[in-house]
Amino acid sequence: MSNPFSLQYGSAPKGDSCQGILGHALVALAFCIGISCFYGRLPANEPKSPSVSVSFVNDVMPVLTKAGCNSGVCHAKAVNGQNGFRLSLLGFEPQDDYVHLLKEGRGRRLSMASPASSLILSKASGQVPHRGGVRLSKESTEYATLLGWIRDGAKYDGPTATKLLSIQVQPDRGTLPPKSQQQLTAIAVYADGTQRDVTKLALFESNEKSMAEVSEHGLVQAMELPGRVSIMVRYQGLVSVYSASIPLGAMVDSIPASKGFIDDALFSNLKELGIPPSPICDDATFVRRVTLDVAGRLPTTQELDSVVGSTDPNKRDTFVAKLLQSSEYADFFANKWTAMLKNRRDDASDITSNFAFYSWVRDSLLQNKPYDQMVRELLAATGTVQSNPPVAWYKRVKEQKQQLEDVAQLFLGVRMQCAQCHHHPFEKWSQDDYYSFAAFFSQVGRKPTSTRGEDMIFHKRGIATAANIKTGTVLKPAALGTSIDSITADQDPRLHLANWMSDPKNPFFAKAVVNRYWKHFFRRGLIDPEDDIRDTNPPSNPELLAGLEKHFIASGFDLKELVRVIVTSNAYQLSSVPNQSNSADQQNYSRYYHKRLQAEVLLDSIDDVTGARTDFQNLPTGTRAVALPDNSYNNATPFLKVFGRPENESVCECERTQSSSLAQSLHLMNAGDVKAKLATAGGRADLMSKSQKPMEERVTELYRIAFGRSPSAAELSGAVDYLTEPSSADASGVSVGQPASPERFQDLIWALINTKEFLFNH
Amino acid sequence: MISSAQAKCPFIDHTRSRCIALSAMLLMWAAGPAILSAQSVCLPLPRLLTMMPMGGSVGSQVEIAITGEHLDEVKELLFNHPGIVAKAKQNDAGQIEPNKFLVQISADCPTGLYEARVLSRLGISSSRIFSVDTLLELKQTAPNTSLSTAMEIQVNSVTNSVMTARSIDFYRFMAQKGHRYVVECSSRGIDSKLDPVVIIADSQGRDLAVERRGDLLDFTASQDGPHLIKVHELTFKGGPAYFYRLHFQELAADSVLPRFASTRSVSAFSWPPTGLPAKAISAELEPNGVSVPQQIALPCDLSGSFYPAADVDVFEFSARKGETWWVEVASERLGRPTDPAILVQHVTGEPGKEQLVDVVELLDIPSPVKPSSNGYAYDGPAYDGGSPDILGKITLPQDGVYRLQLTDLFGGTRKDLRNEYRMIIRKAAPDFALAAWSLHMELRNGDRNALSKPLALRAGATVALEVVAVRRDGFDGDIQLQLNGLPNGVSAQGLKIPAGKSRGIMLVTAQYDAPVALANLDFVGSATIDNQLVSRQVQMADFAWPIPDSWGEIPAPRLVSGLPLSVTNHEPAPMSIAAQDRKVIEATAGSKVTIPLVLTKRMDFSGSTLQMKAFGDGMERLPPFNISLDAANSEAVIDLASLQLTPGEYSFAFYTGAVAKYRIKPDAPSQDTVEIVITEPISIRVKPMEPK
Repeated sequence: MSNPFSLQYGSAPKGDSCQGILGHALVALAFCIGISCFYGRLPANEPKSPSVSVSFVNDVMPVLTKAGCNSGVCHAKAVNGQNGFRLSLLGFEPQDDYVHLLKEGRGRRLSMASPASSLILSKASGQVPHRGGVRLSKESTEYATLLGWIRDGAKYDGPTATKLLSIQVQPDRGTLPPKSQQQLTAIAVYADGTQRDVTKLALFESNEKSMAEVSEHGLVQAMELPGRVSIMVRYQGLVSVYSASIPLGAMVDSIPASKGFIDDALFSNLKELGIPPSPICDDATFVRRVTLDVAGRLPTTQELDSVVGSTDPNKRDTFVAKLLQSSEYADFFANKWTAMLKNRRDDASDITSNFAFYSWVRDSLLQNKPYDQMVRELLAATGTVQSNPPVAWYKRVKEQKQQLEDVAQLFLGVRMQCAQCHHHPFEKWSQDDYYSFAAFFSQVGRKPTSTRGEDMIFHKRGIATAANIKTGTVLKPAALGTSIDSITADQDPRLHLANWMSDPKNPFFAKAVVNRYWKHFFRRGLIDPEDDIRDTNPPSNPELLAGLEKHFIASGFDLKELVRVIVTSNAYQLSSVPNQSNSADQQNYSRYYHKRLQAEVLLDSIDDVTGARTDFQNLPTGTRAVALPDNSYNNATPFLKVFGRPENESVCECERTQSSSLAQSLHLMNAGDVKAKLATAGGRADLMSKSQKPMEERVTELYRIAFGRSPSAAELSGAVDYLTEPSSADASGVSVGQPASPERFQDLIWALINTKEFLFNH
Repeated sequence: MISSAQAKCPFIDHTRSRCIALSAMLLMWAAGPAILSAQSVCLPLPRLLTMMPMGGSVGSQVEIAITGEHLDEVKELLFNHPGIVAKAKQNDAGQIEPNKFLVQISADCPTGLYEARVLSRLGISSSRIFSVDTLLELKQTAPNTSLSTAMEIQVNSVTNSVMTARSIDFYRFMAQKGHRYVVECSSRGIDSKLDPVVIIADSQGRDLAVERRGDLLDFTASQDGPHLIKVHELTFKGGPAYFYRLHFQELAADSVLPRFASTRSVSAFSWPPTGLPAKAISAELEPNGVSVPQQIALPCDLSGSFYPAADVDVFEFSARKGETWWVEVASERLGRPTDPAILVQHVTGEPGKEQLVDVVELLDIPSPVKPSSNGYAYDGPAYDGGSPDILGKITLPQDGVYRLQLTDLFGGTRKDLRNEYRMIIRKAAPDFALAAWSLHMELRNGDRNALSKPLALRAGATVALEVVAVRRDGFDGDIQLQLNGLPNGVSAQGLKIPAGKSRGIMLVTAQYDAPVALANLDFVGSATIDNQLVSRQVQMADFAWPIPDSWGEIPAPRLVSGLPLSVTNHEPAPMSIAAQDRKVIEATAGSKVTIPLVLTKRMDFSGSTLQMKAFGDGMERLPPFNISLDAANSEAVIDLASLQLTPGEYSFAFYTGAVAKYRIKPDAPSQDTVEIVITEPISIRVKPMEPK
């Protein structure tokens, strides 16, 4: 489910389109908002100007924002706005907007001699052609506000206008039964103590439209999906959030025992919402699930036996401990991290740095280097790639703004990109915040090396600063609004940034990674998207997120412990099979949400089942796809591309495609590489056809390898029948081989790997 | 798929502002050479490339097999220490087995690294490192690229192995719980191309500890029983060039980690200053940071370490106005991956309220000549004589207290006590250090070559060594270059390093009738400093491997010991160019001098002209000129006025690149081979203009 608050690359959220807001102004006719106190009862067709002077900042700007004039697709479009008329995005820069209105366009946007003839009014009300359509009815109070302001001399009151302190939403939380409604009221609070009801001028947006929708007037309509939903209320650059829980209201009479704080928080939430959890999964399911999630591979039959056949009450925990000790854990998670750290092969000469960097990540995970230390070594890397591999990150991420944006998004879960050009529309981040953060990277010095495109990195002595490109203000380093103690010219500011990040009180650092890891195991982050942490995108289970954060910090930023505490919880071990009540649950983890195996894991799994091994150029035979150091193998292995292995170009995990597609189905069914694996000499089908074991044993072994379980009686008899039936031809007349021939086994394996049970972790 | 370029702000429509970017790389590629010829770069020279094993124990005899490039008719295997002697191996029938030698290492031969070379039909070869050790020497005798074929090794041994491409070598040893083991894989430091990854694993091959930076792996076993050492190349390359010596030792828990011998980088030629004691006089005393500076008196010579991470060592001293001190720091030149930086500040104000005013910041030692920038065209040698270390001057502006802050610009997050440094603050002791290497230059389709080049002269050849100087403590005078110990028929002339400059040339010419010879040369540079004639050894540098195209492989230059020279008459130099008259040419300042040149071709060449340039004594300013390839006689005209040559004697040479139709054997097909051609040195004595 996409989050409408999230930054979706390449398209603007619908809520910001001119069309989406078209009706806003039209319905405002009889509406009185904060400024309505200035008006008398207005004739239907000719609004009068207010009797009290109109504030440009507090009255005019909200009208322009609500009407959508300053949205990104209209007059706040990059560079020149729309047809030469430019406004700041969402009205964050009133002073600039005033200049644009009053002085640009040869001054014809405002007519002081004949205010009603002002282009701003005649265009917005459709009296003259306007490509954006009618934005304000001539009869509306908003129209009257603009007219009144012009009649009043179109003054700019930026320095003197009463300062808007906050925006409040009433109520700010509540419980919404399914299909119920709730009217929200937006209250603007000003520095002089006054308050205004600005509901009609505020913008409302739901973070989960499948759970609740909100009208432009703030009327919330709950849907049937249970869970927690938030409505963001925006007004004049400030935001507030209404949080609602939509209970399912079913009887929760059976809750698995709690194994710790995760279970406490998760099951408590389910109880509150009335969502009964699925039961704990069986041992075989758990072993397959956790092996895929922790080590990125299928379990061996020996591993299955070690748990399924054991009576040890701690057998699952013991198994998890072994997985975490394995190098496959490090391989799998290094694969995850290096993609986001952009370990990308652009040139043949990148190979050494890419291998070194991948290995550094992998070895750090293997030795369980504390996460804060790992990030510190990366952030403040100096030297050469050979002697200090995290330097390679600075080879891939060369520009200062790219560095700050990647660090903020990856390690802090904050998307700062917007604030480069304008105040963040959903958050408090300003351009000053952006460039103050950039200042941490202002003293990264570079010296060329003998490898083209590769530099040595060092701290370049000097006071770290960065200039706000809009205001020219020279800013010292500050970390997301937190000022940092004075950094001398000799001190590497990146070390100060690392200190700030690893401070146990840091509100972002631990939260970002525990949320990211939670998503790894549960498919959906407690905050989702996982790298968009902000007040207006609250967690679905705040207590659980806080518990994870606290536990992670207390463990000394121990990543293996983080994984352990998650996968040993009963919350993780719930069955993926929904019960009668929880099938609609998408965000409360009342069951395990199945996941399609990612490209590398799927390829390795097919290799494991077929007994083939994918050959990767210049790597040792037997190298698994999850252990590939960079993206350069994608081209030569179409399977990886088809199943969405990323090209390591983005810091966002969303670059990996996890959705299913027709191409994937066709590839699994028909592609030459898959067929070749099935027919590999000495492969599984070949060996099984030659085996002297009873056919039932052979089929059972296949099922255990592919699914981590034995076949049912029906599956077993069906498979044995097929394998042993006399020679026959398929529908097209092609012989399907002799009984128990390799071809028969190939067919059976082909059928197994094309099942959802195989393709998904469940 | 999301590219960073696509990751636009979703709140703003970028359609208007989006610009169409042209790919500069694509254009460059399209504009590149349309035809890549099969041309070779430089005439064959003998190169010793591999030895197996790569070392031996003190007091032992070891059988060594060699391979190399252009090693026809190998006669001898030579070492640069008299305690290591080789003789050709004979089979049971008394016949010599090609390329196999029995090497005797004397009992008194010190451990360390030595240079091995062979003498072949084409002369003396390039060098390969031979290690002398005290550990038990083992040799990989069968493939050990799987768990089941792991090679058994013992503690306190060194195994000589060659890495197979796309493979991991497995070694098995019996560990004892609580015992400490150290594994070191010598590779780059003994001329191998291997970037080693060393892993200690349990008996099933599961990784326990990993070292990927070519450093030691220090491991204490947590249980008894078989363990594995896995070795592979960082990017899984392999082949004969990827050899290694795997040191495996047991150490006491409190022992200091050993430091294994390694070849020295080219930058190290400028270290140590002449006469410097092996050990520093004093040492840093931690804590000596910003809040508690360490008091020192000048001059000083102290050692220290960039430890722990982001270490800042601060030293405080008193000085008088106008005093000048020279500061030299070595750390990178000691083989550490560091980048020292110094900041000197004047301390003012009351104690506890001090204010610091910057006086000087000292950073790198610049390369004496611009090194290659890895571009397509030749723009400098792939030798970098500079260093991240420090060699600079402090002039103190007033009487008072000063603080010198020493940091490692690469040390922000790294904690390694072995990142040592030595800092010397001294009164000016003018001096110089010299290094030389075989000349590389712009060559048609061969600009990016970085070849190891032994001084194996063909009869009639003139070769050039590029000599560079790091000047110390303000020394700014001429440096004369001289080769001693030349055999008969070989002459050498140094084109001096002029005052204030850092580059000179040494030309070595074998006369066409020079007898076959082998000699160890003594290469020195000399200068007058404080009215004293001072001579300094020139340290030679060479590439570990011949790299025809450094676009695909990064050259690995290093310092080499000794300078052997050979002359062969098996095949002549393809071309010789010399002034018709080898006497010093007399000329008057401001005049034009015509120098008749004689070109002797001994094989066919491509093209019809040669574009000649000059080097030596300011002649680099001479505009290039062409001579005919088809004429035996041509001439060079030098306008002394335009070159502004004042009265005096000038030595120089012309040089060019030519494409020879070279045949490796008389009956072999010819191969276009681009080669550097240098004239014999030419001297002009410029006399003052006679008064009118």
